[in-house]
Order: sequence, then structure tokens, then C-alpha cells
Amino acid sequence: MLEPKIVLFLAAFLFSAGVYGVLSRRHLIMLLMSLELMLNAVNIVLVTFSRVWAGRWSGAEGTGLIGAHSGQFFTLMVMAVAAAEVGIGLAIIVAIYRRKHTADADAAADLKG
Amino acid sequence: MEFLFFISAIVAIAGTFLLVAHKHAIYSLLGLLLALTASAGVFLALDAPFIAVSQILIYAGALAVMFLFVLMFTDTRTGEDTGLPKAVTARATFDEALLRPKKRKKKKDKDKEPSKLNPLRFLVPINPMALVISLCLLVCATFAIGQLPDDLSRFDNLPNAYDGTLMTPASVTPEEAAANQNYLEFGSTEAVSRTIFEGFPLAFEVVSLLIFAALLGAVLLARRHLAGTGMPGTQDVGKESEHA
Repeated sequence: MLEPKIVLFLAAFLFSAGVYGVLSRRHLIMLLMSLELMLNAVNIVLVTFSRVWAGRWSGAEGTGLIGAHSGQFFTLMVMAVAAAEVGIGLAIIVAIYRRKHTADADAAADLKG
Repeated sequence: MEFLFFISAIVAIAGTFLLVAHKHAIYSLLGLLLALTASAGVFLALDAPFIAVSQILIYAGALAVMFLFVLMFTDTRTGEDTGLPKAVTARATFDEALLRPKKRKKKKDKDKEPSKLNPLRFLVPINPMALVISLCLLVCATFAIGQLPDDLSRFDNLPNAYDGTLMTPASVTPEEAAANQNYLEFGSTEAVSRTIFEGFPLAFEVVSLLIFAALLGAVLLARRHLAGTGMPGTQDVGKESEHA
């Protein structure tokens, strides 16, 4: 029997792996990819609780169509924000690469005091 | 449902390891693609087919291709050798301060002749500090998951249908739900679209504005830097292409 806790643990694992990727890699594109993984883990949590809530439909408030699907709607919003973020982030990486001829995160330290 | 979930979970975890551990960014991208596609399988197992299809369309279709293009523009080598002078990076100064030069040199010599048969040569070395932080996060999250109240820790049966006009779960039999078009299934495209346009129309519009702003910003940022100070003139662009 599939339980929400198992799905949530998968999401927690994906999120932690994303955090590890962000902290351990220095290539800017790797940072963005790990961020995508973290956002994806959040999406899994949202869809899980949407499904949990949709199963409780004994006339409680918020169990109607909009209440049950709002988790999925938030997932779509997160996807849109992630797409915008990746577009901007990759543009910044291309700009840094033009200036510095490297995509290393430590190279972009012009503002370092 | 369980079978699909566990297969997807295993593939997602494998893809995550590939993403985090592989030296070459192209393989990491492949791992990310695996993980995101497997997440679509998880969504399918959680009765969210529309989200699953959007996941494949947006992430696997659009984002992965965007990453691929930028990887082709920049160098795909990650890890230590990025061609940058050692002294420039903050990491180098950190290493200089913490590690004895002798020890560092010895480590370097060992790295220089990796065994061709060693399958671990494609992996980046483990960063202990990052590992500790992410493991702490995982333990905290697991503890929090364990605290989940009982009434939220099971997947109950879905209602057979949602009434599209009353916005409540309709207590009907599956046959009635299939026969009447006003009854919407959980997670179907029409149910999600009704949620978007009747529940959160303002957020939907704001997100379209956000994506438009991101589009403009990306074009502005990735444009070749122009020498002139005025409008993005054609003269400067011509000059620059001559030099190139």
C-alpha cells in the first residue's frame, strides 16, 4: 500500500540531493540543474498533499473541485517560475562566460570586497 | 499505482546520483532528465495525469534543451580544471590556507594518473561539508515526515466525480459520472483548468506577466555586449562581427 510518507521521503531525498549538488559543485550550470531538482521535489510534495486532500471528501470545507486541485495548480505555478528562473539564469551564465571565459562560480567575484 | 511509483522512485534516485556525482555536465544533464521524467511517473501514480504531461513537456522538453544549448556554448568540464588560474578562485585561497602545500601536491600527483579501468574516475570527489549539511537536512525532513498526523498519512479513495457547477464532490456512481459530462474526474485536464480559471485567475495572469518579463530579461542579458552607449545599434554589431 502506497503511503504519503514514502512519497514525501522520496521528495525529501531529492531535495537533499539538490542541496548537496548546489553546495558541492562549482560549475554554474550544475548549480542551476540542482536547483531544478529541488523545485521538482517541492512539486512532488504539493501533488502528494493534493491527492491526500482529495481523498478526504466527507463534506469538509475545501474538498470541492478547487480545493482538491489547488495543489496541482501550485505545481503548475512552480513549473512556470522554474522555467522563468532557468531562462534568466542561463542568460546570466552566458553573459558571465563571455566576460570571464569560464562558467566557474568562483570567477564571478567582482563585487567581492 | 504502487508498482509505477516504486519504479519511478528508483529511476529518479538513480538519475539524482548521476546528476550529483558525474564529472561531465552532459551526463549530469542526462541524470536530471531521468529524474524529472521519473517524477512525471510519480505524478501519474498520484492521479495527476495533467501535471505529469506538463512535467514532461516543460522540464524534459523545454528546460533540458535550454540546458543543452548553454552547455554547448560553455565548456562542459566541471570540477577542478576549469582553465582558471588557481590563484583567482576563492576556493584556491581557501585550499592554500587550510592544506599544507606538500599534501596538496601529493594529492595532485595522484590525480594526474587515474587508472583507465577505474569506473570511479568519472565521479567528482565527495565534498564532506556539503554531504554533512544535506544529510542533516534529510534527517530533519525525515523526522518532520514522521510527525505527519494520522489522518493525513493515507491515500483515501477518490470521489467518483466532481460536480463542475457546484464545486463539490458529487456522490454518484462511476457509471453516472461517465455518462454525465458535468461530472469531472480528479486530475483531469478540465478539472485542473477549471481550478486555474475559476479559482486562481489572477495568479495565472501574473505568471504570464512573469514569464514575459523573464523572456525580455533573458534576451537583454544574453545579448552580445555593445560598445556604443545608445540604442542597440546595428553599427556596433557589425563592427563586433568583423573582429570576430
